[in-house]
Amino acid sequence: MAIMAGDVVERIKKNLGTWREGGYRDTYKAGGPDTEITGIATTFMATFDAIQRAVAAGCNMIIPHEDTFWNDRDDVKDPSADPLYDTKVAFCRKHSVAIFRMHDSMHGQRPDFTYVGLARTLGFDSARETAPNSHRYTLPETTLGALATELKQRTQAKALRVVGNPEAKVSRVQLGVGYATPPVSGEIDVVVSGELQETDGTFDSPAYVLDAVSLGIAKGWIMLGHAISEEPGMEDLAEWIRGFVKEVPVRFIRAGEPFWVPQ
Amino acid sequence: MNPLSRREFAACAGAGALAVPRVFAQKTPGAPITAPIAAPITAPITASGLVERIRRNAGVEWKTDTVDTFKAGDPSTVVKGIVTTTMATLDVLKQAVAAGANMVITCEPTFFARADNPNPPPGRGAANAPPDAVLAAKRDFIQRNGLVVWRFSDHWRLRTPDPLAQGIAGEMGWAKYQVAGDDKHFRLHQAVTLAALAEDLKKKLSIRGGIRVIGDPRAEIRKVGILAGSTPLAASLRTMPGVDAIIAGEVREWESVEYVQDTVTAGLRKGMILLGRVVSEEPGMKLCAAWLRTFVGEAPVTWIPVGDPYWRPV
Repeated sequence: MAIMAGDVVERIKKNLGTWREGGYRDTYKAGGPDTEITGIATTFMATFDAIQRAVAAGCNMIIPHEDTFWNDRDDVKDPSADPLYDTKVAFCRKHSVAIFRMHDSMHGQRPDFTYVGLARTLGFDSARETAPNSHRYTLPETTLGALATELKQRTQAKALRVVGNPEAKVSRVQLGVGYATPPVSGEIDVVVSGELQETDGTFDSPAYVLDAVSLGIAKGWIMLGHAISEEPGMEDLAEWIRGFVKEVPVRFIRAGEPFWVPQ
Repeated sequence: MNPLSRREFAACAGAGALAVPRVFAQKTPGAPITAPIAAPITAPITASGLVERIRRNAGVEWKTDTVDTFKAGDPSTVVKGIVTTTMATLDVLKQAVAAGANMVITCEPTFFARADNPNPPPGRGAANAPPDAVLAAKRDFIQRNGLVVWRFSDHWRLRTPDPLAQGIAGEMGWAKYQVAGDDKHFRLHQAVTLAALAEDLKKKLSIRGGIRVIGDPRAEIRKVGILAGSTPLAASLRTMPGVDAIIAGEVREWESVEYVQDTVTAGLRKGMILLGRVVSEEPGMKLCAAWLRTFVGEAPVTWIPVGDPYWRPV
């Protein structure tokens, strides 16, 4: 029996339990509820590459965490002036692709899929979390350098970046995902997150960490990259969708780390 | 094309042997020429007097809504020495004091945000009730050493040619490759691979761990666009069609990064090199020191780099 994108979205809403209507993020970016689907692919972001690989794997419904047309609102005013926009849209039309973003609804869940996925990837044991959903972990004391090395190995992130003294003794770690990078001030030694601006964040930027280091205060900032920090949660989302969509295969397509680093 | 005019360079060259009052005037193409300003080098200058002179020499219309204001210290302070820097970190302030300077001109915020409030409200979630030890120590250091901090960002960026792009081009030896009529585009004398270009930037700009690249390392790059600082999507969309690679400071992963990834997927041999926001603005603030020397004779002007904030584990 044929299943439409709209059926999948309805089941997602029902199984989430709570759904906030009216947001601009968690909506269709291509296709619509009437698109008949052959397979579902979850991925970090609907990059052109991820869309192509999903289609090659037989999935024409794509559920990304991030945007499709290069801005959070998927406002196509500026992007549509670039021929690349037409190329991406034409590919989606040709292959009857439906793209339905899941961002706010994932972060609104308790526990949040993205935090669960990232903590597992990093090897952060929930027994060490100070309280459920606090995303704050008390790890056995280590150095910032040793922690960064371990997280780089676990994530395989090529472009992981660190601010702070590698010798600093650290134990209290606050986890963030994506651009939701938490403050590093107060009772926190290290923030581990995805992405953030270098300054203009007050308590949550390298600018603050640099000054703390200058004062000999043990603070560290480990930026994994936005994709690296949120992609594991999309694997969990695929597994969750498999629980209530049996008609078509549900796959996880890794968008992957966009960066490489020079010698 | 030189980032400073010939006249400015001549003034720089003579800056070491100042003995008589000099007359300075800034000439910027397209901007009205300001009245020459007599600046006897023997008379002291205050921080506010210096800022007034910068405004008159900037050659751009001064905005009413701007971040270019005093962030700390007393504007009536007599300036003993001037430091330009990308960001007035505590390390930079310590070096400024050690060098005998008491006026710091910074491109980025001092108190970690656009508002530059030395007593900011608690961070997200209100989990960080004041007093904050780092902010308190920074305020104390500035006060104890009689420092004056002034931000110079909005108007420095408005100058033509873009001093931040010119700064990077200067460090890379690309000044002569600037595309006529476009101060952010450079056409290299021969194509280099994206990998070689990234390695060259890393070396010449003294980058530790912050540099990141998107695109095929073997892609041949001839035309580059330099977008220093924090770059919105619109600037990338505007620049990419005319170049092989964009060299930027900081962008968002869900904006320009995705756009460049898609560009590469579509088969275009292009790339993007992200230097980091601070690193991308360092050469421009070095140029700022040279520019200040052309019309400030009362106090020495020194550039202090912040350095790459990032390192990367092996």
